[in-house]
Amino acid sequence: MSMINDAPRFEAVTHFAGSDATVVLTGSVENAAASALSATLDAAIDRHPTSMTLDLANLDFMGAAGLIAVTSAERRLASIGVTLNVQSPSALVNRVLGIMELAETARLDRSTPEGGHLGPEQLGGLNGSTQRFASSLSTRDLRRVTGMPTDPDVVDGALALIVELARLSVGGADGVSVSLMRHGVLSTVAASDQTIMAMDATQYATGEGPCVDASVEGHWFHAESLVTETRWPTFTPAARSLGIRAILSSPLMAIGEPVGALNIYSRTAETFDIKDQKAAAVVAQKASTILSDASAGVSDTQMATRFQEALRSREVVSLAKGIIMARDGGDAVAAFGTLLHLSLADGVPLQQRAAAIVHSAEKPHIEHGSAEG
Amino acid sequence: MTRPLDVLDVYCQEAGLSYGELWLRYFELGGMCAGFELEAFLHGLRAPSVYDHDIIALAINERLVELGGRHAVPYLYDG
Repeated sequence: MSMINDAPRFEAVTHFAGSDATVVLTGSVENAAASALSATLDAAIDRHPTSMTLDLANLDFMGAAGLIAVTSAERRLASIGVTLNVQSPSALVNRVLGIMELAETARLDRSTPEGGHLGPEQLGGLNGSTQRFASSLSTRDLRRVTGMPTDPDVVDGALALIVELARLSVGGADGVSVSLMRHGVLSTVAASDQTIMAMDATQYATGEGPCVDASVEGHWFHAESLVTETRWPTFTPAARSLGIRAILSSPLMAIGEPVGALNIYSRTAETFDIKDQKAAAVVAQKASTILSDASAGVSDTQMATRFQEALRSREVVSLAKGIIMARDGGDAVAAFGTLLHLSLADGVPLQQRAAAIVHSAEKPHIEHGSAEG
Repeated sequence: MTRPLDVLDVYCQEAGLSYGELWLRYFELGGMCAGFELEAFLHGLRAPSVYDHDIIALAINERLVELGGRHAVPYLYDG
């Protein structure tokens, strides 16, 4: 069973009591284990059980591929008139974990920089919302799940840490803030103190300043001395009146697009040297990684809703394929081909065309929108 | 001539779909492969069956249509 070194433990054991089958799953059904699960379920179904129970009590993780394996076994059993019973105190949790793995899939192509990365450990400590499932997760899984801060609260928490990190690591920093463009409006999502909040607000109000420019233009702006600064005539006097003398704004990028800025303020003019500028760039890079991950996904709740929608749509498509198969006698692949042709001919999404077929089959006396297209 | 697999990955990017979202759409349309298999197809590490190819193509095309485009990814099925 060791397909990969230190692959998570997984076991599927089938018991037959007469013609009643019980399949007991132990450990984690990750993608690699899903085909083994499929094979076990298929073998049990091949023996034509009169009842089948899937015992998930000892299961601690099920990924999307496992979910598909179970769904297809359920369908096979239905075709021979048998209902699949799922026994598990934590079935719902496992389903949610399947969705979490989908979320994980969304960021597989983005590698996380090694070392010094503002990692899941810190994030987990900041916000309890990602630790709800800790009891049914291994440490490794927990790290994987919390590695993607999609929840806005978690992202804001991470940015608050970024502010702290910048204040500590950039010499001369008296105040730090992070501005983010959300729904087309630039606002401060994390700041070290109220003066800084006021400083940012002044920039948004006047529509000028290094923070605004860095957020929009995607490169950085260094106001070495506000005493001699001329680029922002409205903003500069306001900043000076708040005691600020130097500003360093680095752009924050999410998947290559500017989305905000990391702003570092000092009460001393000409205080940010090359070393400080480099440190600011490193911190901005970390913040950008977090933002890229966040914008690559959606929140857990959105993901759960989206997944439920997907399950419903899939069911409609399956039903329509079944109706076409019964009518035309072909296999599922041919039925999909027919559905595809109908969808393209009518210029409507396939799911919508499938729904029309299901609808006309449910109401055989109402002839509009017939399956013939 | 561009190989079909390149077409999938290129249009997936043009449609602005993350692999996770593409997988969901593919799953929705009846696809049975896991997310990692889908990625293997897009990276050209494995060749999808004609059936899987066309579901992926449809998932991408429907997104392109939503964005005001057309069915740009060709289908392989000719039944």
